[in-house]
Amino acid sequence: MPNPILKLVEPEKSSDDKPATTTTTTPHMLPCRIHHDGPVEPVQSFWDPRVEEDGTKTAYFRGRKLIGKTVKLPEGYRGVVAAAAGTEIKDRRPEDDGNGVDDLEGEGQPELGKLQLQAEFDEMVIWGHEATVDVSADPYVRGMEEWLDLANQIHSYTTTPSTEK
Amino acid sequence: MARTRSTKGAGAGAKATSSPKTATTTTNNSSTVYTLPAESENPPRVFVLPKQTSPEARIVTLQNPRYSKPTRYLACASTGFYEFTKISASKTAPRSWLLHGSQGDDCDNKFDTHTTRGADLYVSSAIDPVFLVLPALVKSGSDKKRRFLSSDDHFDALSESSSTTDETTSHLSELLKWPEIRRILEKRMETVCDTVEAGGEQMFRLNQDKLLDEILLKAKRMAKHGLPKSMVEKFVTKALEAPILGIRSAQAASKPSNAATSQQESSHDNSGANTPSLESADSQSTMSSVETTYTSVSDASTAATSVSSLSSAAAEEPNNEVVNAMSASQEVIDLQTLRVAFDFICSTYLPPALSKALKENLLATNDSRKGTDFKPLDDYLVQLAKLRQLAVAARSTDYSRKRTMDEEADERAEKKRKKEEEDKIKNANMSRGVKQLKKVNTSGMKKLSEFFKKK
Repeated sequence: MPNPILKLVEPEKSSDDKPATTTTTTPHMLPCRIHHDGPVEPVQSFWDPRVEEDGTKTAYFRGRKLIGKTVKLPEGYRGVVAAAAGTEIKDRRPEDDGNGVDDLEGEGQPELGKLQLQAEFDEMVIWGHEATVDVSADPYVRGMEEWLDLANQIHSYTTTPSTEK
Repeated sequence: MARTRSTKGAGAGAKATSSPKTATTTTNNSSTVYTLPAESENPPRVFVLPKQTSPEARIVTLQNPRYSKPTRYLACASTGFYEFTKISASKTAPRSWLLHGSQGDDCDNKFDTHTTRGADLYVSSAIDPVFLVLPALVKSGSDKKRRFLSSDDHFDALSESSSTTDETTSHLSELLKWPEIRRILEKRMETVCDTVEAGGEQMFRLNQDKLLDEILLKAKRMAKHGLPKSMVEKFVTKALEAPILGIRSAQAASKPSNAATSQQESSHDNSGANTPSLESADSQSTMSSVETTYTSVSDASTAATSVSSLSSAAAEEPNNEVVNAMSASQEVIDLQTLRVAFDFICSTYLPPALSKALKENLLATNDSRKGTDFKPLDDYLVQLAKLRQLAVAARSTDYSRKRTMDEEADERAEKKRKKEEEDKIKNANMSRGVKQLKKVNTSGMKKLSEFFKKK
């Protein structure tokens, strides 16, 4: 399957007079697999998470008690729910000033796919069955908290341009 | 029955259309059957993206520098490249996303609640563009005969590589049409290459020493910042952990090698008896954490509850604690951390051949001024290997003694088992009648052959 170049498409603004409000969502990572891709509205009848007084989140899903752990995205990152939405043959990049670059038109133009952003989030909830997930072992928590931090350490280069020799 | 249900459902449905809030409360106790909306053909995916990318950012397929496979990257003209790390649930712990929709009254932008079959999370994190061009830089001849080439030639080499597909080639050429991307790549190439001006064009040639410096710099930054806890545990603490020799008195067994060890000894005294199983981890963690265990334990001992006074009494006793054969000094820990960081970068982002060459390079340039003199660490590791061997040997003699006894017993058991098995097979072939007749006393009876004799 060919993977076209994907362009991120922000959700369309609802109307011109209103300021653009980003649609928000909360991704819940359930400790079970659901064999369904797609919308499941109305959801309130089977998913109703509550926040207890001491801050823990609990929910009952099909009679099972779940305990949630909220994971905030680190600074500088945003969560996005997106789906591929069709392809189009790319025309010229509008602001291509072409300074010194020959823009070869014609064959070999890769397809330009669209990745439609549907909603944004800044935190997600990882649910564990009867207990909170093990923070030191859960791949999602570690991916958020450890990997992003580490990756920045490895790959940041603008702050320290080059070593003097 | 179905009829009453459907009418009820219709009633609730009608309510739902009028006001969704009341519908939810009524549906809880009514027997409404929802119809599940059809599955969508292209399910939404969950991404974590950097905030500061420009709207012109594109997701492209480029060659992975390490595995030479087409891999997706996010390229942004103003902030550089980002790689995607896919986090997915393990087979043993199935997960799914439930994307809870917005409950706002903004109807136009409403996002329906979705569930997904898979539980993938795509996390994009910055990647140094230098890694993306490295395969090309390495390709242009071997170390000695490497020629100066223009950036275009290097990029061509990148797309001519046998492992690339049309896709990566076309995506790369598309990217290179952006002057900003080209600038970013060239700028990063400068840091690891020797450059010359020729005919108004800058020419690049990979300089391995520069590359080594660059990666060491990254590794040092990682080490200084501190590796993630799970990495420290697995690669630093475990790797430096000496075998536990057993329970001895502290004074006799400790061999303080420097100031750090003596401080760790003090933590031995306090926390050792409390948490013998954690001892090895404690003694090899970094200085600050040693101090925290120290203070926390002394706090516990000052607290005058019966339990803690008991434990502190036990803790203050200098004898009877688990003693490791040796403990790593701070210097050794730091060096190991640095090495782990360096190896991690090499094994994740560099082509295998290059990472091998770099590691050899690193060993060759044991330069203490750069802070890369791994000699103390190597000495420590050699000693540790010896100790481990000793420990294994000591244990294996125990095993062998035990085994001689075990083996005899094993042999006997084996024979018995075999015999039983044979009997079982025999018995299985016998019919029930024959088996029962076996028990009959036939001493007074005639043999069957008796009847067929000639008279």
